[in-house]
Amino acid sequence: MEIKSGNEVQFRQVYNELFPVLMKVAYHITYNQDVAEDICQDAFIRFYDKNMAFPSMDDAKFWLIRVVKNLALNNVKKKARENASIEKIKKAPMAVLNPFRDGASELLIQESQQTVRKAVAQLPDIYRTVIVLKEYAGLDYRQIGKVLGISESNVKVRVHRARKDLEVFLNREDVNVP
Amino acid sequence: MCLDDQILNTYLDGELEEPWKSQVEEHLSYCTSCKIRYNSLKKIKETVKSAALTQEEIQPHQDRVLAMIEKNYLNKPAKKKFLGKEIKFTVPQFMGVAAAFVIVFAGAFSLFGNREASSIPLPDVNNTINLEKITPVKGTEVTTQSKTLDDYTLDEILKYLDGKGYSVDIHLKSIQPIEQPAVAEPAPVEEAPVEEAPAEETPVIEEVTVVEEAPVVEVVETVEETPAVEEAQPAETVKE
Repeated sequence: MEIKSGNEVQFRQVYNELFPVLMKVAYHITYNQDVAEDICQDAFIRFYDKNMAFPSMDDAKFWLIRVVKNLALNNVKKKARENASIEKIKKAPMAVLNPFRDGASELLIQESQQTVRKAVAQLPDIYRTVIVLKEYAGLDYRQIGKVLGISESNVKVRVHRARKDLEVFLNREDVNVP
Repeated sequence: MCLDDQILNTYLDGELEEPWKSQVEEHLSYCTSCKIRYNSLKKIKETVKSAALTQEEIQPHQDRVLAMIEKNYLNKPAKKKFLGKEIKFTVPQFMGVAAAFVIVFAGAFSLFGNREASSIPLPDVNNTINLEKITPVKGTEVTTQSKTLDDYTLDEILKYLDGKGYSVDIHLKSIQPIEQPAVAEPAPVEEAPVEEAPAEETPVIEEVTVVEEAPVVEVVETVEETPAVEEAQPAETVKE
């Protein structure tokens, strides 16, 4: 189905379907919900304003993910210059507590989430992007390659190296796995 | 031979193609060390995945951004998308062009208006200029140029000048050899003062020197192809 980004009905459809994915991508690169929200807003406004035609929902998705990923990485670079990135993650207030879980396990989960997010934030850009797209955006290797403009085998290698780094970071932190 | 991490990761992500996939599965079924390694990689993957932003966390952002986009974009589509956008770009340009036209026209009108109003005697001058222009434009060559003077016999010219109160001296010069650069000098001249005009037959260079109280006009007519640009000017004055 062709998607016209300036068409209101189709825009809403794309928005409802893709906002969560984009928010995850933006968040897991920047680790700041407000910044991630701004980035998603920016991306969707561009999407609507440009009034482009996409052959399929997937193409629209890849375009949006690419835009969000780039905006997020730019933001991270800017933040890194301010040298506050990791400190902010440590201090960042955790999101809404899940009311269906008991307090103790909630605390454990939060701690573990913190650790993981910190570990992901420590990855070099090219590995972090691949991991975020794989684990949080749910893309397969072929799709990741398409978004990033790299080959599938390149994606494979990056995923492997990213996991290797993550393993080191996580073992250092001694994670509690739920 | 045991499996390396990259193969295990690829298998873990469900990206391993069929011939190898079965082999890996078979290997994992009996190799404990690989199974352990596989499980720890799986644990890393799941740990990372578990830290994902949840839908409860996403929802408020999703609602807020949509509200903003609805307010500023979706709810005024006609204005924003067509008129709003285009006018935003075209108005300054259009205004600029319009302003330029106004300035050009205003300038033109003020200039021409002043001129027409203040210059009543000017049309006369303009007319003569136009008349003069018609002939020289056609004949930039010496021949056509001299023809205008040739229209008058020497007699007529002298009579005209006499009528105007000029006293005229006419000298005859001999023909210059062509090899000599025409511009160089008036060249050796055999001066023979003549009182009466020898009419049109005069085969030589004529030099008409008009001597009077105030305006001194010189007319030089050459048979040779000397550049007539300088001569043209005095010739016109004489005709006047």
